[in-house]
Amino acid sequence: MSDEKKPVQMVNVEVDGKPTSVPAGTNLLEAAKTVGVEIPHYCYHEGLSIAANCRMCLVEVSTAPPGKLVPGCQVPVVEGQKITTDSPRVKEQQRAVEEFLLLHHPVDCAICDQAGECRLQDYFQEYDYRPSRLDSAKWMKNKRKDLGPTIVLDQERCIMCTRCVRFMAEVAKDPVLGVFGRGTREVIDTFPGKVLDNNYSGNIVDLCPVGALLNKDNRFRARAYFLTATPSICTGCSRGCNTFLDHFQGVPYRYRPRENKDVNQHWMCDHGRLSYHQLYDDRVLAASVGGAKAEAGAAAEAAATALQAAGKGAAVVVSPVLSLEDALAVMLLAKEGLKATEIFVSGRGQGDADFFLLREDRNPNRKGVELAAQAFGLEVKPFAELTKGKPKAVLLAGVDVPTEGQAFATWLSGVETVVAMAANGGTVTAAAKIVLPLATHAEGEGTFVNFEGRAQRFMPAYEAKGAMQPAWRWAATMLGHLGLEFRFASAGEAFAELSKRLPAGALGDFDWKKAPRTVVKGVTPLTGGTVDGRPPGWRELIPLRASSAGSDA
Amino acid sequence: MAKQHENLAVADALEAKLPTKTMTLNMGPSHPASHGTVRFNIELDGENIVKLDPEIGFLHRGFEKSCENVSWSQCLPYTDRLNYVSALCNNFGFLSAVEKLAQIEVPLRAQYIRTIGAEIHRICDHLTCTGAMAMELGGFSPFLYAIEARDLLWDRIAELTGARLTTTYGRIGGVNRDLPEGWIQRVKDSLDRVAQLRDEIDVLLTHNRIFLDRTRHTGVITKEDAVNFGFTGPCLRATGVDYDIRKAHPYWVYDKVDFSVPLGSQGDNFDRYYVRIEEMKQSDSIIRQCFEQIEPGPILVDDWRYALPPKPEVYSTIEGVIGHFKLIMEGIKIPKGECYAYTESPNGELGWYLVSDGSGRPYKVHCRAPGIPLMGGLEHMVKGAILPDLIPTFDTINMIGGEVEQ
Repeated sequence: MSDEKKPVQMVNVEVDGKPTSVPAGTNLLEAAKTVGVEIPHYCYHEGLSIAANCRMCLVEVSTAPPGKLVPGCQVPVVEGQKITTDSPRVKEQQRAVEEFLLLHHPVDCAICDQAGECRLQDYFQEYDYRPSRLDSAKWMKNKRKDLGPTIVLDQERCIMCTRCVRFMAEVAKDPVLGVFGRGTREVIDTFPGKVLDNNYSGNIVDLCPVGALLNKDNRFRARAYFLTATPSICTGCSRGCNTFLDHFQGVPYRYRPRENKDVNQHWMCDHGRLSYHQLYDDRVLAASVGGAKAEAGAAAEAAATALQAAGKGAAVVVSPVLSLEDALAVMLLAKEGLKATEIFVSGRGQGDADFFLLREDRNPNRKGVELAAQAFGLEVKPFAELTKGKPKAVLLAGVDVPTEGQAFATWLSGVETVVAMAANGGTVTAAAKIVLPLATHAEGEGTFVNFEGRAQRFMPAYEAKGAMQPAWRWAATMLGHLGLEFRFASAGEAFAELSKRLPAGALGDFDWKKAPRTVVKGVTPLTGGTVDGRPPGWRELIPLRASSAGSDA
Repeated sequence: MAKQHENLAVADALEAKLPTKTMTLNMGPSHPASHGTVRFNIELDGENIVKLDPEIGFLHRGFEKSCENVSWSQCLPYTDRLNYVSALCNNFGFLSAVEKLAQIEVPLRAQYIRTIGAEIHRICDHLTCTGAMAMELGGFSPFLYAIEARDLLWDRIAELTGARLTTTYGRIGGVNRDLPEGWIQRVKDSLDRVAQLRDEIDVLLTHNRIFLDRTRHTGVITKEDAVNFGFTGPCLRATGVDYDIRKAHPYWVYDKVDFSVPLGSQGDNFDRYYVRIEEMKQSDSIIRQCFEQIEPGPILVDDWRYALPPKPEVYSTIEGVIGHFKLIMEGIKIPKGECYAYTESPNGELGWYLVSDGSGRPYKVHCRAPGIPLMGGLEHMVKGAILPDLIPTFDTINMIGGEVEQ
C-alpha cells in the first residue's frame, strides 16, 4: 500500500563511502553524480541508449564477484550497494583504457577543432599522464570522410563510442550511420548508398567526445578554448531551444544546444544551429536618414518627428523576432507616442515543421508580441492587411517579412515615411527612409516567449557594434522626442515597468531575475568547472555599455 | 618593550628647556640617502625622532591578487619581482610551497641546483645591502666593490637562467634547465674574486671610525623586541637569537652541507651589517660544498601532471601533445588544499600561504615577506634617536619595496 503513495522507490547506496539515495533503476554513474563523484565515460549519454562499449566507466561494486569491475553506465543500483570509484584496480583500468584509446590516435591536437573541449585530453591528463608505449607505426584511416552536406568524419580520431550511430537511429530516426569492420580496422561510416543528410546531424558533432565528427560550417574556424559560451535562445523557430552562443571577440562562431528537459532535451536542429549566421552577416551598423549616414540621436529624432507628423496615419509593424522587452517598448511607442489602435505582425515566413523540434513558425517570439499587443490593448492584424491599406507612414520594428522582400519594398516606396529598425540589410532595409540599426539577442538581454507560452531569458554575449541599439532603447529614445518621459535604461527595467500591463499569469511563474546568470560583469577569471563544463582559462566579457547590455547586476 | 633611547628624557634640571614645537619632515619616496621607494613621515623634536610613520605602496604591485588570475606556473615571474636582487630565493621558495601542496618529491640534483642558486643570490643580496649602506653613509668605494662583485655573480646567474635580474628559473617539480657546461668552474673563479672584494669591503668599513660611529649602538633592538616584532633573518640573528630556517627546519640540501649561523650580540646596525658579511662567507662555503656533492641526474620530476613532457614526446606522440596542451592552456592542477611553506631568504623568512581549489590557478596566494615585520619595527628602533640614525637603520633592515607591497 505504501508503494502506491511512493511511486518512486528509493535505493540507498554508498559511493566512495558517501551515502546517497537514488530512485531505483538509476545507474551507478548517475548515482555517483549525486554525491559529486564523476565517473569518467565516453559512450554513455543521458539522452541515448546504453552501449557500455568504451569501458572507461568501470567501477568496483560490493555486489559483483571480487576483482570484477562493472560498467557504471549500465548497471543499476541495488539496495545497500557500495560503489568504489577510486581503488587502485579502477584507476589502473581507467589508465589502461585511456592508453589503449590513444594508442593509434593521430598527433592532431594542434589542428583539431575539438582541442580544448576533448574528452581524450581531459581524461588523459586526469587518469593516464604517461608517455606512449607504442613502438610501431600508427594505424592510418580516412582523415576526411565526407558523410554528407554538413558533416565530415576523421576516422583516425574516432574512439568507436557509437554515440553518433545511436543518436541517428534513436533520436533523429534516420539510421544511416553504422560500424564497419572489426578490431583495429573498425570505422564509423554511412551504410552503402546512404548519405547523412538530416536536420539533426549537427548534434552528432556535439555528441562526439573527440574531434572525429566535425561540422563543415565551422571546421577550422575557431579554437574551442578561446570561445566563450553565453546562455542564449535559438531564434530559428518558435520552439525556443536553449543554446550556448559561442563567440570570440564579438564574433559568433556556433550555437550548441543547452540542456533543457522541457524544451529541447539535449538537442537542436541544424536549421536553428546555422541561424547564428544572421547575427553576423550583413549587419546594419550605422543609422541613416534619407540614405545618408546619420548620428543615432539625430536619426531617432527624425524618426519620431516624421512618425508624429503622420499622426494617426502611421502603421506600426512589429516583427516576432524581437524580444518581449523590445515588443513591449514598441507597443508603448505605438499606443502612447503614436496613438495607434492596431499593430501589424510581420516576421519570417512559415516553413515546414518536422517530427521533432522544428516548428512551422520560424519566429521565436510570436506569442510574446501578441501578449505585448494585448497588454496595451492594441489590435493585432496580420501582415497581409498592411499592404492593403494606404498608411502615410510605416514604422518597421524589425525588417523580417513573410512575403517576398522586393514586392514589399516596392509597396514601401509608395509610403511617404518609412522608419525601419533593422538588424540586417536587404531590400526592405534599403527601402526605408530612416534606418535605425538594431541589436540582436546576441548583443543584449531579454526574453522570448515560445509557442507554448514559455518565457525564456537570453543573456548578452558581446558588445553591440556601431550604433546598434535594441528596439526597446530606440523606442524609449523616440518616446523621449515625442515628449513622453524616459522610463527605462535597461532591458530589465523595461520588463519591470511594462510587464505589469501583461495579462495576469501570462508568463506563468517566470521570474526575469532568475535568468541563467552565468556571466559576471567585467573580465573575470573563472575557476574550474564552469556551468557549461568548460575548463578554466575562460574569460567572460559582457558588454558594459548601457546601450547594449543594461544589466541590473 | 624596553625604552630605547634616553636622550629625550634626559633634561638637565638647571638648563632651561626651550619651548619648541615638533616639526614634521617628509623623507622620500625618493631620497638620495635611502634606497627603496618608501616615504617617511617623521615628527621631529629638534633633531630627535618623536614619531616615524613609514608609508609603502608606491610600486603598485598587487601581485598576490594578480596570482589569482594566472596559472600556478605563471605566478613564477611575479615572484622574481619580490626581492628583485635575490630572485632565485623567491622563485625556489614559491616553488617549494607549491610542491608541498602537491606533495611532489623534487629530484636531488634539482635540490642542489636550488641551493646553489639561492646561496649565490644571498651573496648578491648582502653585497647590495652592504654596498648601498656604505654609500649612504658616505663611503663610495665599498659600493663600487660590492657592485663589481654582484655583477660577476649576476653574469653567472645569467648563464644559468638567461636573465640577470628576472630569472623565472625553476619549475614546479624541479628546475627547467641544467647547469651550463663549465659553469661550476666559472662560479668558483667568480667566488674567488667576490671573496677578495668582500674582504676589501670588510676592512674598509669594519675598522672605519665614521662607519663605526654611525652604526654602533644605533638602531638597537633587543632580542625580545625583535622576536615580538616578528623579525627574522640577519636582523633577528644580529640580536643573538640563533634562528636560521636552513638549520632549524632544513630544506633542499641544507642538512647535507656544513655551515654555521653567524650571530650578533648587540642588535645594532653594526651587528646587522657584520652578520651579513659573515653570512656571505658561509654562503661561499655552502656553494663550494654543493659543487663537491652534486651528482648527475634528473632535474625535473617525471610526472606529466606537473612537469611538461619532453619536447620529442610533444612533437611526435599524442600523449605528449595532450600533456603539453593541458598544462599550458589550463595550468598545472594542484590538489585542493592549503599550505604554509617557508624558506630562509636573504632578509629572513619568506613564507607562502597558498590555497588551491583544485583548478589550474591559485585560489589565494599570500606572501609573508620578511621586510614587513622589519618595517613594522623600524619606528621602535629609531624612536628618540637623532634623524641621521634613521639612514643606517633603514639600510640594515634592507626593506625591499617589491616584497613589502602585497
